[in-house]
Amino acid sequence: MQNAKDTFYMALRGRLAELNPARTMVVRGAVRPGIVVEENELPSAGTSTDAFVLQWTALKVDPHGPMPLAAMSCDIRYATDGAIARTTAGTTAGTTGNGGMDRGRMLGEMDAELVQAIEPRSAMKMNYAETPAAAMATRVFWSDVVFGAVKAVGERLTRTATVLVFAYQEAGEL
Amino acid sequence: MRAAAIQRMADALLRGVGGRSVKLRLPAPAAGGDVTEELGLATPSFQDVAMWPVAFRRVWAKTSEGKATEKELLVSAKTVEGMVGSLGHASASVLFAGAFGVLVDDVLLEIVSVSAAEAMGEVYAYRLVLREPQALTV
Repeated sequence: MQNAKDTFYMALRGRLAELNPARTMVVRGAVRPGIVVEENELPSAGTSTDAFVLQWTALKVDPHGPMPLAAMSCDIRYATDGAIARTTAGTTAGTTGNGGMDRGRMLGEMDAELVQAIEPRSAMKMNYAETPAAAMATRVFWSDVVFGAVKAVGERLTRTATVLVFAYQEAGEL
Repeated sequence: MRAAAIQRMADALLRGVGGRSVKLRLPAPAAGGDVTEELGLATPSFQDVAMWPVAFRRVWAKTSEGKATEKELLVSAKTVEGMVGSLGHASASVLFAGAFGVLVDDVLLEIVSVSAAEAMGEVYAYRLVLREPQALTV
């Protein structure tokens, strides 16, 4: 299942970077595409705005059939405060460029990027624990995105979208 | 001049109330272009930097059943300013935001919030609210 989770993240990461190369974030001094897997970061990493945060939640395994089929729920959380200035350290300075009045538009941009990045809804499963990453025998595939309602906390708009990711468990795979 | 005097006074007070030493644990910068950390396959190395004098406000400790205890730590502003300068951070808030936690007697406490304590417009100490690990919760 870990290979499927890694594959889904890497697929989304690559597609988002291609769609909008300007959507980046700084994690411990390194500039990365604006997407992270929450469980892979330090617990003290804090809240990220203008980036996609993946959180793996529910898991269901169907043991019937030639190979067990795992269905994993992935919450994709993203938030924006509107136009922001970035400090040299890459953190949001909170000085809104236009009073945050474009926060709805910026959230809309992120919605659109996610809709595009999710297609096509499959990728060859890869084992990233090996160097170089090795292609496996089956594919990882996933559902449409289900968008949750926007939550507004102060000037910050947050949305959580959910994707159901499926993968067959190959022999010897964790 | 006035800032130095206020900071010296704060340091004297911190030492007077049993000032002790703790360590700020900072993660090493992420390896650019290496996805192993992004995938949780590799962990960053850490650097422990001593902070002295500091003092816990024990009367402030927040405890509630089933929840991790929170404590308040007062840290000398002079110490923090030295760390900000020597470690090349933009400000104290950036330094603490990037920290992994505070090591107190080999127990790592998470930093919940940071605020500056000021007198006459000068910062003399930083208040760190720290959360104990849940494994230590009784």
